[in-house]
Amino acid sequence: MNALTILLLGSTWMLTRVTELKNAVNILFVQSVIIALACGIIGFETGELHMYVAAVMTAVIKVGLIPYALLRIVGFLKKERETRPILNPNYSALAAGMLIVLSYGMIDKALPGVVSRDALAASVALVLIGLMLIMTRRQAVMQIVGLITMENGLYLLGLSVTKGLPLIIEFGIFLDVLVAVVVLVILTYRLKRSFLTTDTGLLKKLKG
Amino acid sequence: MGEILLGALLMPLLTGAVTLTQKKPLRIHRFNVFGNILTCGFLAAVLQQLITGGVIHEGMLYVDELSGVLLLTVLLLSFTATLFSASYMKKELEHGNISPKMLPRYYGLLQLFISTMIGVLIVENLGLIWVAVEATTLASALLVAFYFNRAALEAAWKYVMVCTVGICMALLGTILLYYAQVNAMPAGGTALSWLQLRELSGSLDPNMVKLALIFILIGYGTKAGLAPMHTWLPDAHSQAPSPVSALLSGALLSCALYAILRNVIVVNGALGGEFSSTLLIAFGLFSIIIAIPFILVQHDVKRLLAYSSVEHMGLITFGIGIGTPLAVYGALLHIVNHALAKSMLFYLAGIITQEYRTKHILRIRGLVSAMPLVGTLFIIGILAITGVPPFNVFVSKFMIAWSAFESNHLMLGSVLLILLTAVFGGMVYYLMKIGFGSVPHHGPGEVRIGWPARTALFLSLAGIVVAGLYLPPWFNSMLIQAAAIVTGG
Repeated sequence: MNALTILLLGSTWMLTRVTELKNAVNILFVQSVIIALACGIIGFETGELHMYVAAVMTAVIKVGLIPYALLRIVGFLKKERETRPILNPNYSALAAGMLIVLSYGMIDKALPGVVSRDALAASVALVLIGLMLIMTRRQAVMQIVGLITMENGLYLLGLSVTKGLPLIIEFGIFLDVLVAVVVLVILTYRLKRSFLTTDTGLLKKLKG
Repeated sequence: MGEILLGALLMPLLTGAVTLTQKKPLRIHRFNVFGNILTCGFLAAVLQQLITGGVIHEGMLYVDELSGVLLLTVLLLSFTATLFSASYMKKELEHGNISPKMLPRYYGLLQLFISTMIGVLIVENLGLIWVAVEATTLASALLVAFYFNRAALEAAWKYVMVCTVGICMALLGTILLYYAQVNAMPAGGTALSWLQLRELSGSLDPNMVKLALIFILIGYGTKAGLAPMHTWLPDAHSQAPSPVSALLSGALLSCALYAILRNVIVVNGALGGEFSSTLLIAFGLFSIIIAIPFILVQHDVKRLLAYSSVEHMGLITFGIGIGTPLAVYGALLHIVNHALAKSMLFYLAGIITQEYRTKHILRIRGLVSAMPLVGTLFIIGILAITGVPPFNVFVSKFMIAWSAFESNHLMLGSVLLILLTAVFGGMVYYLMKIGFGSVPHHGPGEVRIGWPARTALFLSLAGIVVAGLYLPPWFNSMLIQAAAIVTGG
């Protein structure tokens, strides 16, 4: 489990350094694989059927469908890359490192001596880094990646504090995430067609 | 009873699915009006059952008086919005703003949107409420982007991004609430069941619940358009087709407030009313304050109405924050009243922008002489929404302001009244600009308003006028009981 947490944090940290959209999606894929594995391992340890179902759903939706949809749109957006992020990769990486430390600090302060300390801290870090990506990246696809990272973090949080939400709610959440990605991919495609770029920094006409 | 609830949930989906297979515009309009009448029939049956037989609880489905008030709102608005869509979209086709191919998509998404809103109101579980609220965002996002022009894409992108991030916060809050429940729950309870959480609320960990409430308020508050998370709202409302703007403003924002209310009831059980009350009053007043400059200096008629929605959501939140039975009664009544008046205004704004071919306030003049019917209704609508007696919004606004004074919040009540006066000033100023003066040469010629739109407008008008003077006894007692549910009596 510890190895998985380190891998998860490492891969998420890598996201802050990426400028190629395709690499970002690949890292997201790795991230989701790790979470699916974590679900499987918890299922194996506790013997709960629920966890296996969660692992399978993560595998199908977050490892399969979502990266597939994103890779397709990235293939369509040939020359797009994150050229001028609001916070450049070096500072973002530094900020992400600080966010990870902050998450550990927060968990130790709020819930001292909790069993799943590492998983909790990692999930909070994922949420914060995802939020940072959404705020500091201009490319539409990078923002989607940030959103999924955030959602992965929340999912992990639910998993580590409460052994997961009831199945029907989890199923609903998965469905929502999937539809959200589909909607965002449609919008990205339309952005490319209307604006000839997917740089969301240009979306500033509506004001006042 | 569960069948009727499921019927209300599935009927719009069925209508939408069949619409996607149709090609002829006239048939699509008629079919959707018909399908929506059936949906409203199901909803009316639910309300009927609620009034005669009390709370409905079947498995995961649950309808009490609080959801009843909101279901009534969705019923009224989906009915008028579908009717108005028929005329509005017909004209959009004539003007060439959309192609006939886009029509099935519009109605399919509209019906899906209505279904997800009904979903929010009839599920018992706080987790499922979250799922349904997120589903409303996704269903309405493509409606906001419906025209797929640059402005609409920008609005839709911001809408999905801001609301999804916001709603992630609400999920975090919900997970924290679940964590508190797990620690307090005897074995065998159902996770996040609202009824069980309310029962248990006394034994929940207060600190965890506080944290949960903050995230939940930020999360659903984003969706409800509370400042400072309201930034998506004016964009989405101004770019969506007008019937959709009406639904977004009247029904969707109210559904988000409903999600907040359900959570606040549990939280108040754990903490007492003090903590949530402070937060709600702060968010409410701040929303009204933020909306004022944008109402005073505005260039777009639909954005004007959108900022007015921010203000009204703030007012309702303020009322819930005051927390006395009268205040909550007023706030719930205000949800319905605001929905009626604001939807009528958005329909009228739809007609105005179609005929003047602009949303720019300075280019819209002489409405009363150019289109007497639309002009008169617009004047009534603006007067109603700003709280002029004898219209319905006045009654609920008065109740909220009165309850603030009654519960010894003299400062808050006075500030509220001053702020509402400023809003009144801004709205009436623009009403004068739009309503009177000479008609510009690009203005409308001969205008014919189709009977579906007329029906929708007159129904809203009837609601605005009648509810200002008279509330049916069944509705009154539903409101009283809903307020009792919120205040925990």
